[in-house]
Amino acid sequence: MAGSGSFDPGAILGRMQNRREFLHMFGRGLGYGALITALPACGGGGSDDDDGDDSPPQSPIPKPSRQYSVLKRTSFGPQRDEMTSINILGIGNYLEAQMDHLSIDDDSLEADIQALFPLTMQAPAQLIGGFPDNIFDVATQMIAATQYRQMFSKRQLYEIMVEFWSDHFNIHLINGLGPTLKPYDDQQVIRQHALGNFRDLLHASAKSPAMLFYLDNFFNQAVAPNENYARELMELHTLGVDGGYSENDVKEVARCFTGWTLRFPGDPGGDYGEFVYIDPIHDDQAKLVLGNSFAAGGGQSDGEQVLDILAAHPSTANFIAGKLCKRFISDTPPQSAIDAVASAFTISGGEIKDTLRALFATAAFLDDADSKFTRPSEYLAGVVRALAPDTAYPPDKGLFWFYVQNTLGQLPFYWPTPDGYPDEQSYWASTGGLLNRWRISFLSFAGMIPGLDVIQVDYAPMLGGADTVNTVVDAIADAVLMRPLSSDDRGVIVDWLQGELDVTADEVLAAGEPERASALVGAVLISSVYFHLR
Amino acid sequence: MTGSNIAAHPTIPTDRDILVCIFQRGAADGLNALAPYSDGDYYGHRPTIGLAAPGNPNGAIYVNDDYALHPSLAPLKPIYDAGDLALVHATGMPHQIRSHFSAQNLIERGVVEKTGPSTGWLGRHLASSAPASSSAFRAISISGNVPAALNGALQPLAIDNLNDFEFDQDIIDSGYPRVLTDLFQSAVPFSAAANAALSAMDELQAADLASITPDNDAVYPANSALAAKMLQAAQLIKSNIPVEVICLDSDGWDHHESLPTYIDISLTELAGVLDAFYTDMGAGMARITVLVYTEFGRRIAENGSLGTDHGTGSLAYLMGGGVNGGQVISDWPGLNIGVNEDLQITTDLRTVISEMLDKRLGGADVGNLFPGFTGATSVNAFLG
Repeated sequence: MAGSGSFDPGAILGRMQNRREFLHMFGRGLGYGALITALPACGGGGSDDDDGDDSPPQSPIPKPSRQYSVLKRTSFGPQRDEMTSINILGIGNYLEAQMDHLSIDDDSLEADIQALFPLTMQAPAQLIGGFPDNIFDVATQMIAATQYRQMFSKRQLYEIMVEFWSDHFNIHLINGLGPTLKPYDDQQVIRQHALGNFRDLLHASAKSPAMLFYLDNFFNQAVAPNENYARELMELHTLGVDGGYSENDVKEVARCFTGWTLRFPGDPGGDYGEFVYIDPIHDDQAKLVLGNSFAAGGGQSDGEQVLDILAAHPSTANFIAGKLCKRFISDTPPQSAIDAVASAFTISGGEIKDTLRALFATAAFLDDADSKFTRPSEYLAGVVRALAPDTAYPPDKGLFWFYVQNTLGQLPFYWPTPDGYPDEQSYWASTGGLLNRWRISFLSFAGMIPGLDVIQVDYAPMLGGADTVNTVVDAIADAVLMRPLSSDDRGVIVDWLQGELDVTADEVLAAGEPERASALVGAVLISSVYFHLR
Repeated sequence: MTGSNIAAHPTIPTDRDILVCIFQRGAADGLNALAPYSDGDYYGHRPTIGLAAPGNPNGAIYVNDDYALHPSLAPLKPIYDAGDLALVHATGMPHQIRSHFSAQNLIERGVVEKTGPSTGWLGRHLASSAPASSSAFRAISISGNVPAALNGALQPLAIDNLNDFEFDQDIIDSGYPRVLTDLFQSAVPFSAAANAALSAMDELQAADLASITPDNDAVYPANSALAAKMLQAAQLIKSNIPVEVICLDSDGWDHHESLPTYIDISLTELAGVLDAFYTDMGAGMARITVLVYTEFGRRIAENGSLGTDHGTGSLAYLMGGGVNGGQVISDWPGLNIGVNEDLQITTDLRTVISEMLDKRLGGADVGNLFPGFTGATSVNAFLG
């Protein structure tokens, strides 16, 4: 039973000795035969904008505090010291401080990342020198750096927005030359503009070599237009699929971006991976985009104009506002919230902080706690943040984290299609998704299986001297969940522990038993619905 | 256990086939899978990537005087000749959406516009009849997530790997699953999914799928995600678990460039998987229907990157003992149209599905399945 087929990180780590196995394991079934040629850009499964038919209506579990709910929605999981911080500062001041992310000192974390994951900072021209032998190292470092920041960065809201825009402008890392290009996109496009201005972000993305490669725009030339980028630019990046563009607009926008490409190895005039506009392959005839006439001879400005029109378009404001509300509120946010956010987006000219400010002021954001099932990245980082915020992230355990997040189905930069990981709870709260969380909760974080406890949880400070089943359950629930348990659910856990430990609820436990009981309680709590809602 | 036992599966009503749906994600090109090589315009639109006519070097496989199969689909020809495979050409959902994500959503919901039910056509079909048993396995997607087509069914399962859906013995011994069961017993959010997961685990443990091996010397392709899932589908069908509907995804059909290279890989995998499953099931195929479909087809003309861009009509595959096989079902629209045009849809996919559910899955309430659909409800694609 506990043998071959089951979840066994130790065996996985032992097996994953080389790049081939890593790619096999993390390639999600995508072949990697043609390294230089882009793999087909689309083809993943999954549902579309969905209905969230499993939404929690009248939850019988007690609501958390407003402060907890805000932290749960704007971070990768509440941490005790942040709960203290938000309680002292107040919600408004806390969120303002988070939005001013550059004023939050995160130097030691960034120094760690420089030291541990240096490839994530390298330019395409550096990375191409080691390509394709460095694919494994680039992939592992990109994923590890992302997980590391989500778990330990003090700029939590910023990291949430980095994840949001990484999905919005999704680029699959394992995609032809992608491993040499995505690190630059991550640094200079997504992280540079995550809390900046949407128009700047859009322009940077359009010129990102990773995007030009992933969505085939490097093929796009006057004699042979390729519509892939043009379509996704409007459908996924700006207007939304119902944003009011036609098939003809797709063709016209594709013509506007002819000649937008990147410098390939050996090309003259600069470094590999730089954006370059090649005028001779640009379609320089007149164009008509969303009712706007472009005179012939516009050159590179054709594409720039398209980006400006799209960034300022009302459909874009609505589309971005809808996605943000879906991220921070629920799968079915109130229209009034979307309208308020869209209005702030428009009035501010796409300033992301102003847009978020409007969202954070809505009643739905502040009051409707427990409206959504967390995604795996929040679950994983949230467990570490709740149970062991001071734990190390030992590089030799890095592969374990990759494996776990891959099992949960949300490995960073591994969603193959341009729509990014889904943000609907019906997608994540499946039978398989729940079981994986349960198993991981139990095996890896409860310290139950010697050698498999990846993070070292120190329960003693959480216990604060608690030494009976009743007091242990209360202490651990308070420390790990930071929100109240219902009396029924508390009773289930107490009954179980009494049976496991063969004691009564108020009997003083033998030395060492409170810690053992804590591990069991911790595993159950992070498996429960209390931990998975935000 | 041999495949023939499926026909006598104790818990499935005798008027229903087991349905296996394979969704080709990414919009599969039908014109290079089943080539209309006699259409005078085929090679004009596809001068570089078009399949060579039968009899030529690397030629396509002769099916009839109008159509020929991609050479990589060779394993399907004997199934076609045995009358257990029908090919529906120029089929799809009649709309003008060319977004993968929107079109997948439409076809899975069984609608041609954004409005209409949010549930899926399979979900509505399943909800219209009572389950034959209390098993958690009436409908399952062998993937991490429930596809839109199954939405509306009573708690469909989504399990990525059936052979790994279990707790270790250490965990079971700790009483942890029992605590979870108790914690999810009240109407907390996701209690239905949680309880389905816990029940499914019990059923799988009793069924011991790993002990069920391919019959009739069937060999599933190696290193194939689709094959691994199809093998699990076969194991599930041959177990005592009364599954009725199984959904699988086949990824990577969006061949915007270098189509000949990539479609060869994709079709080889698809044909190998269908052939292995057909062999494995043996006589059991009498009670199984396999449907292979995609969100839309691709442009008639090749693009400048030796690929094809998004279009409309494509190809669907129907396999099973109840299929009126050995025929290409198509009211061929012809390719004598402009370069930027699409393969016109002349057989609505809803027609094919309506007939399939009516004749093979216990009946079709077409008005509920496909609201607003007024087209034909049969193209003589199935027996029964």
